[in-house]
Amino acid sequence: MQKVEYRNERDKFFKEIENLQHPNETLVKTHCSYCGMQCGMNLRVNTKTNKIIGVEPRYDWPVTVGKMCPKGVTAYQQTNHKDRILKPLIRDDASLKGTKEGFREASWEEAYDLIAKKFTELQQEYGKDTLSVFSGVSMTNEKCYLTGKFARVAMQTRYIDYNGRFCMSSAAGGFLRSFGVDRGSTLPWTDIHETDCLFIAGSNTAECHPTSMFRVWNVQERGGYIIVVDPRETPIARRADLHLDLRPGTDLALANGIVNLLIQKGYADEEFINKHTNGFEETKELVKEFTPEYTSQITGVAPEKIIRAAEIYGKAPNAVVMFARGIEQQHKGVDNVSGYTNMALVTGKIGRPKAGVATFTGQGNGQGGREHGQKSDLLPGYRKLTNPKHVEEVCQVWGITPEEMPQPGVSAYEMFELMDQKTIRGLYLLCSNPAVSAPNLNFVRKAMKGLDFMVCADFYLSESAEFADVILPSVTWSEDEGTVTNIEGRIIKINKAQEPLGESKPDWQIQAELAERLGRGKYFSHLKTARDVADEFRLASKGGYADYYGATWDKIEKQDGVFWPCKDENDPGTPHMFLDKKFYHPDGKAKICALPYRPPAEEPNEEYPLRLTTGRVVFHYLSGNQTRRIQFLHDMCPEPYVEVHPETAAKYNIEHEERVRLFTRRGEAVYKVKITEAIRKDTVFVPYHFGHDQSINLLTIAALDPISRMPEFKACAAQIEKLELKKVQ
Amino acid sequence: MKKRLYLELENCIGCRSCLAACTQCGGHEERNRNYVYDVNPLVNRQTMPLMCLHCVNPACARSCPAQAIQIHETGAVLSALVEKCIGCQNCTIACPYGIPKFDTEQNLMYKCDLCIDRSKDGIPPMCASVCPSNTLQWLTDEEIEAKQKQFNLDNGKWVTSMPYLEGETNVRVNLPGILQGVTKLF
Repeated sequence: MQKVEYRNERDKFFKEIENLQHPNETLVKTHCSYCGMQCGMNLRVNTKTNKIIGVEPRYDWPVTVGKMCPKGVTAYQQTNHKDRILKPLIRDDASLKGTKEGFREASWEEAYDLIAKKFTELQQEYGKDTLSVFSGVSMTNEKCYLTGKFARVAMQTRYIDYNGRFCMSSAAGGFLRSFGVDRGSTLPWTDIHETDCLFIAGSNTAECHPTSMFRVWNVQERGGYIIVVDPRETPIARRADLHLDLRPGTDLALANGIVNLLIQKGYADEEFINKHTNGFEETKELVKEFTPEYTSQITGVAPEKIIRAAEIYGKAPNAVVMFARGIEQQHKGVDNVSGYTNMALVTGKIGRPKAGVATFTGQGNGQGGREHGQKSDLLPGYRKLTNPKHVEEVCQVWGITPEEMPQPGVSAYEMFELMDQKTIRGLYLLCSNPAVSAPNLNFVRKAMKGLDFMVCADFYLSESAEFADVILPSVTWSEDEGTVTNIEGRIIKINKAQEPLGESKPDWQIQAELAERLGRGKYFSHLKTARDVADEFRLASKGGYADYYGATWDKIEKQDGVFWPCKDENDPGTPHMFLDKKFYHPDGKAKICALPYRPPAEEPNEEYPLRLTTGRVVFHYLSGNQTRRIQFLHDMCPEPYVEVHPETAAKYNIEHEERVRLFTRRGEAVYKVKITEAIRKDTVFVPYHFGHDQSINLLTIAALDPISRMPEFKACAAQIEKLELKKVQ
Repeated sequence: MKKRLYLELENCIGCRSCLAACTQCGGHEERNRNYVYDVNPLVNRQTMPLMCLHCVNPACARSCPAQAIQIHETGAVLSALVEKCIGCQNCTIACPYGIPKFDTEQNLMYKCDLCIDRSKDGIPPMCASVCPSNTLQWLTDEEIEAKQKQFNLDNGKWVTSMPYLEGETNVRVNLPGILQGVTKLF
């Protein structure tokens, strides 16, 4: 029977362009290894050496049409980099933990034997839950899925969590509460430039998701508006129609203030509210207090700007509310997400093309990786460990009994607390570098150092690997295949361009082999290829609301990706969410949330008068473990710096490029000063991509959101000290 | 259909992707050949690319005593021929935009050639291919004309190929102001 050929939209930016094909080269279609944009790219592979030698734009990818940021252009340089770990490494002298020293090369056999012996001993002495898995989402759905199964079935521990707690968990929590479903964007990116107003809060889009920018700018070219909420005048804020320059950590007040104005000025869509939402009256009552003047007092944004923002958003026929870590990495991140989402729900600007809500997914697979069971309380398909029916369904796929399924564990940061308390004594770390990316690093590094036994799978010797007893060489993204779910909720395919370098192996293979050593081989031995894992994973997600069952690799290829949910082979997927105005709560309605304002966990005082906020630069990705090793990116941004407003700098008598001591109640570091008027006078900013004594996370606070357990990276109280002054004293 | 490099300076976000991509062109020996400047770094985040404009009557080529700088039939002003360049650096002084770079080790000038191995076959140069903000675009004359109409402010100062800058260029530059003529939707 002839099936209807469906393909996702190719918009006006799409052009038919043939690639340049050099002699003795093939092009392997794939996507970038870095952020949630997952830009399409071709890897150039030399057909004689079978090695990746370069990159060629992928004009035929409808989301990014060949465009790449500097990270993407140079991403291929990771694979055959001189820093690759080519063999398993073992360190016999535990006193060297926390340094690069003391590792010796070993065989896989020896490494597996040692891991199995140590893990078994620890579990015999301290119980199953003495082991833990700390994972990440810069890897394929297949790997993310198998890591969840590996922790629960092979290591049989309840303690598994992942770096999404430092990234996307607040967005997830907010969307689940507002919509009953957590898909990062309610609409495809090919809609973005066609909307009439982009309201972008806490996203340095030009640096963190650069390939969104040609669509963002196009909104203004068409006569639409861009409103940016950010304490800094980022490149996107500089050209925005309106820049709401708020104090870090005050987003919820701004959101409430705008929702109040939307209601007061008659922009509320009463029919939509009545038919499709709950919670409006309560919210209306709560936000009444947030007059422009009161909102201005809290946020520091001029009242007329707040009024204008509400007017533009309210009037816009279509608008998209977008946000990112700026609002999410707060101890009220979930409330911020629901608070800004309220804008769309109150005005009914959702559930149709060109209007909706989206979060800029930070990590390559930040979306897919959080759906399939790496989170302490979740199972594949966004199922819950606390729901017996969900547990039953997954047990059937895994071949274990519900009694064997471990209980929910704790969140990422809380695992370090348990390590400190010796509840957790063993760690299997992969795809993450918490020794740079976790908050309150002095504590986290101490907890890692105190572990009885730690394994780290990585392709470079990261700052976190320096705490390991055994390092297992994993592969880069280009040496394996599988699927990733991008910023839009579109499932895409990563293709293999070269064989693993040295003795490195993909994480799924390492885990399957290690499971065998742990006596759990029967649950993993059938997984011989990435495709085997993919088939089991699709089945495990089937029936969950993040249903990937119908997203076969063939369909992904034919359709230019598949938007979940995709339930069966005839389902083309779901580019737009809620077109039927049905939300995922049991009554089909969305929830407008009444959210009382809370200030940041740590407010400035006389001793610590500055607000410290952190973020990315365009040249680096996450902890910088990958990008700091790439020559071009290193040359462009070799070290961190602290951005200070000139008036603030004058107060401290510090100059551009001078080194100063920046400190908080938790830690300190020395940074070069970057004077700029593009930041609030009460705020300083430091990028977080750097290791050892340059890590700004030595200073950040581990105040966790009560729902998402996201730390408050984006706001804490800090002080600057001039270095010479100290010397003189 | 002939296409040109077209620049909308106002879109630049300072990501330097054009520079990274420049190193990836097969003929570029992994050296980037253009520039991105911070316009006023202590004040704001404004940046702008400075690309070779591929002058119709290029000062670099005119100043070259060795005729090392050839002009391709597409109008691209090529990098110095290795066998002809004498390393005198006249071109670096003559260029009104300061484009040609000089390799002191090889005693050789090198500059943007619009990725000639790509652009000769109509494939966009690497910089314009990757530019995430559409600061650098690869457009037909018709598309550029449509842009000109869209942004026309009746002041005649739209492109550098008019006498207001140094002379006619193959690359078209839109001076800042693309949003001035835009009528807001509401």
